[in-house]
Amino acid sequence: MDASMKDLDMKNLESLAVLDPARGREPTDMEWTRSRAFVDRVIAGEVTRRAAHRPVRRWLAVGAAAVAAGAVGAVAVPALLPGTAERAVASWTAVPSSRTGEQVLPQARACAASDVGARSSSPHPDDVLLAEQRGVATLLIVRKAGTVVECLSVGDDQFAAMGLLDDGPLPAQPAGTVTLETMSSLGSGEGMMSNIVGLVGPGVTGVEIRLDNGRVMQASVEAGWWAAWWPGPEGGEVDRLTVIVHTADGMTSHRPSELP
Amino acid sequence: MRGPGGAREERFRSLHRDTYADLLRFVERRVPPGEAEDVVSTVYLTAWRRFDDLPDDARPWLFAVARNTMANQTRSWLRRRALDVRLESLGASERGDDAAGAAVRIDLERAWRALSAADREVLALVAFDGLTAEQAATVLGCRRSTFAMRLGRARRRLRSALEPPESGTRPLSRPYSLKEQQSWTQA
Repeated sequence: MDASMKDLDMKNLESLAVLDPARGREPTDMEWTRSRAFVDRVIAGEVTRRAAHRPVRRWLAVGAAAVAAGAVGAVAVPALLPGTAERAVASWTAVPSSRTGEQVLPQARACAASDVGARSSSPHPDDVLLAEQRGVATLLIVRKAGTVVECLSVGDDQFAAMGLLDDGPLPAQPAGTVTLETMSSLGSGEGMMSNIVGLVGPGVTGVEIRLDNGRVMQASVEAGWWAAWWPGPEGGEVDRLTVIVHTADGMTSHRPSELP
Repeated sequence: MRGPGGAREERFRSLHRDTYADLLRFVERRVPPGEAEDVVSTVYLTAWRRFDDLPDDARPWLFAVARNTMANQTRSWLRRRALDVRLESLGASERGDDAAGAAVRIDLERAWRALSAADREVLALVAFDGLTAEQAATVLGCRRSTFAMRLGRARRRLRSALEPPESGTRPLSRPYSLKEQQSWTQA
């Protein structure tokens, strides 16, 4: 290879940097916090086995919103249908109404038919592990063919879903404690919303979320899970809320980064 | 006063501080961002268990563990075709602001896509991850001379893919709208 060809070679190699998907990428404060907390747990011996695979925990647009995004089967940040998120936010309530599997079977079917998790065409009411209603929005945690997924819907618009766990016995939680399985925000502007999901140990009688702006809400607790959603960005930020765990003995408060 | 255990812990925290950003980028180049944190966590758990085995230049060692982790997950999770390197999305602003630069980039993308996943991986270790041949060989678990040979071949194929066809019927560059994630789901 002559010198000019080598120059061309190096130039091509260097110019490839423009294709780098991580160009300029720096970890966010939340990522640093989570990773440091994980390292602390590793050093403390609290993580004793290789982390089991967890399904991808990010919202995927499903149903009508996925069609609007034009990419069935592709990962898409939920492009909420115009007005859907705003309707959910406008009707949000701090205290949810519990729903039975029978009551939310249509939403569970839509959730089961989505591409998130394994497909399941005929969910049974017993597959609904947790269901709550806040205004026009229904939040579900549903078992579907070997996986557990979370779905949010407004009316007939099944607009977002997220994988939570592979199905099977839930990891044993110490009595009176909770875990944080996922916390995130989605949407933007007036339609921005946050969600939080975790597991509860025996003896937990209730879970509340207190945002740093003073707003307090009640999470749903059912079948070993706790979950809530609310209008606002806090789910995507570092420790902008406190999780309050109630037991018969009293209550404990935790920042998200402190929860396992 | 901290004992030897404390010093070891501090060295591990220091390793994490020094390598976390690079490791996260390395992983995110190869899997969707939502999956990267789990992979990175697994790497640090492995590193803590084998802390005494870590070489002085720990970064390639960590990358190698990450690569193995991703390869295992690739097999068991998503039925992906291969562990491959993603491409940066081509945003509209990048297409419009600098027509000449965008054309070069489109040519690069086309050439990149024409390469095999193995060639892309070799090139990415140098061009994206910024590794030396020695370090890249550690990541791939091969000899330095083997890596140098593979890199040389990959470069030749890249150059060949960038050369205009002789017939003069080269299609016009067109702005690809890359749906980078599509290849990572329902593969």
